[in-house]
Amino acid sequence: MQKQEIATQYRLEDSRPLEDGQHMDTMTINMGPQHPSTHGVLRLILTINGETVLKVVPDIGYLHTGIEKTAEAKSYHQALVLTDRMDYLSPLNNNLGYSLAVEKLLGIEDEISEKINYVRVALAELQRIASHLVWLGTHALDLGAMSVFLYCFREREVILDIFEEISGVRMMTSYICPGGLQADLTPNFEKKVRAFTSMFPARLREYHDLLTNNQLWIERTRGVGILRAEDAIAYGASGPTLRGSNVVWDIRKVFPYSGYEKFDFNIPVGSNGDVYDRYLVRMLEMQESLKIVNQAMDGMPAGPYRVANPKVAPPPKWQITGSMEALIHHFKLFTEGYRPPEGEVFVRTEAPKGELGFYIVSDGSARPYRMHVRAPSFANLEVLPLMVEGGLLSDVVAAIGSIDIVLGEVDR
Amino acid sequence: MALTATATVSLVKEKFPQAVVETVAFRDEQTLVLQPESLVGVCIYLQKSLRYNFLSTITAVDWPERVPRFDVVYQLLSLPNQCVLRLKVHVGERGEEHPSVPSVCAVWPGANWYEREVYDLFGITFAGHPDLRRILMPPDWTTHPLRKDYPLTGFDLPEPHWGGQVPYTTDPGVGSQTLRSPEGRELNESRSSLNPNQEPGTPKRE
Repeated sequence: MQKQEIATQYRLEDSRPLEDGQHMDTMTINMGPQHPSTHGVLRLILTINGETVLKVVPDIGYLHTGIEKTAEAKSYHQALVLTDRMDYLSPLNNNLGYSLAVEKLLGIEDEISEKINYVRVALAELQRIASHLVWLGTHALDLGAMSVFLYCFREREVILDIFEEISGVRMMTSYICPGGLQADLTPNFEKKVRAFTSMFPARLREYHDLLTNNQLWIERTRGVGILRAEDAIAYGASGPTLRGSNVVWDIRKVFPYSGYEKFDFNIPVGSNGDVYDRYLVRMLEMQESLKIVNQAMDGMPAGPYRVANPKVAPPPKWQITGSMEALIHHFKLFTEGYRPPEGEVFVRTEAPKGELGFYIVSDGSARPYRMHVRAPSFANLEVLPLMVEGGLLSDVVAAIGSIDIVLGEVDR
Repeated sequence: MALTATATVSLVKEKFPQAVVETVAFRDEQTLVLQPESLVGVCIYLQKSLRYNFLSTITAVDWPERVPRFDVVYQLLSLPNQCVLRLKVHVGERGEEHPSVPSVCAVWPGANWYEREVYDLFGITFAGHPDLRRILMPPDWTTHPLRKDYPLTGFDLPEPHWGGQVPYTTDPGVGSQTLRSPEGRELNESRSSLNPNQEPGTPKRE
C-alpha cells in the first residue's frame, strides 16, 4: 500500500447494522479511466452504499501531456498549435484566447482590424455550436437517447467542412493566430456558412422535440446533480455549469473582447442548478450563437486578415522575391519569432466550457517564459463531488455529462 | 460606484501596509505582491469586504537564478464588482527544496485542486491544505516537472514503466536540459545489452 493511498478505506464502523443484525457495507468501486461515460480518461473512485454514492474522488492526470512545459520551449507562434489540443472539441476558442493574450502582451490590440474581429467572432461561435453538439450527442448517448448522437454529428460535419474550407484542417485549425488570421477567407466561406445557418434552426427544433419535453429525459435530469450558486462561485465553476445555477455571468458581456460588444445576444441562465437546467442553457446557447454568426456574416467588413506590423505578422509570401525587408522579416519571424516586452498578462475568454484564461509571462525573449492555462473543465470537475454525493450511481453519469468536461484541458 | 482594481490596490495598501511588497501595473492589469505570512489575511479581506469571490487560478513561475526562486500567482475576480486582480508571493530561499506558502483553501474552497497542482508540478507546499497530494503526475513521482531544471523530454524510465523514474545521482544543476551523465554518456547506456557490431533491430545473437 502506498502512503498516498487514494481510495477511501473501508471500516466496519462505517457500516450501519440492519434490523436482523447484519451489516450493510459500503463498497469502493472504480469508474474509469477507460469508461464510455466518463468523456475521456477520467478515473472516479466511488464509495457507494447500495446504489447511493457516499463519496466520489476524481483522479485525473491520465491525459497530462505537459503542454505548459512544452510551450516554454517553443516560440509564440509555434506554441499556438499546442493550444488547439487542450480543449480538443473547441480548438478555435483556445486559439482565440491565446492570440488575445499574446496580442495584449505585444501591445498590438489596437492594430487588429474590424474584419479580423468579425471573423474571429463568427468562427468562435461556430466552434461553440460544434462543441455543444458533441456535448449534446454524448450526453444523450450516456443517458440512453442514442439517436441524438448521430444527428448532432451530422450537423457538426457541416461545421467542420466550413473550417476545412478556410484553413484546410477540420479540427486543429490554429487558424486564429496572434496578429490576425493565418490566411484570408475563401470565396466559398460565406456560402457555406449561410447554408449552415439556414439549415440549423430546424435541426435544433428536432433536438428539442426529441429531448426537452421527453418524460424519460426529464426524469433522468430534473433534480439531479444540483449545484448551488454559492458553491459554484466558491469553487470557480464557470460557463454553463455556473449559469445553470442562476448566476448571470458571461465574460463576453462583462469583459467583451474581439468586438463582442457590437453583437446583440442573450445569456441563458438556469434556475435550479440541476442537469436539466444546464442542458437547457447549452441548447439555448446554441441558438444565441447562431444569432451571433448571422450578425457577424451580415456585418462583416472588408479589410486585411492580419496586422500590417511586419514585426509580428509575416508579410505576404509573394513579396519575398521582390522586397529585401519582406525576406528579412519572414526569416526573423520564422527562425526566431517576435519578442514581446517583459511582463505578464492574464486574459479571460468565454470558451464553450467556461472561463478559459491564459497567463503568459514573458522575459523579453522569443519564447514564453511561462504559459499557464486556466482550464474551465478543471474547476468544473472539482464541483462534481458536490453534485453527486448522496445521489444515485446512475446520476453520476448524468452529472458528468452535464458538466461537459474535456480531459485534454483538465490535464493539459 | 463599482470597485476598480486600482482602488482595490490602494485599499489593501492602506489596510495592510506591511503586507504589500510592491505593486505592478502592466497593460492595465494590477498585481499586488504580498508577504507570504500576510497572504491569508489579505485574501480574507479581499473575499469578505471587497467581494472578490471568484478565484480563477493559482499557478507558479520558476525563476531559478533569482532568490526567492518561485512566484506563486493568484488570479482573482469579483463577480459583483466586475473587476480583476492578481496577487503574487515570492517564496523559495536558496537551497530550499520545498518552499511553503499558507493555503487559501479556507477562503476559496476551489483553491484545493489548484494548490495540489502547484505542489505537484513545482514542489511548493501549502500549509493548512486539507489533502496535499499529487494530482496530475503518478502518486509515486519524486520530482516536480514544471521546474526549470526538469528536462523537457523527461527522464528515461526503467523497464517496465510503472511510474518510477531514474533519479539524478549527481546534482544536475540549474538549467541543464539533457539526460547525460557528467562524463557525457547516456545515463542508461550501460543497461543496453546489444552487441555494437550487430545490426540494430535484429534479435540478440550470442
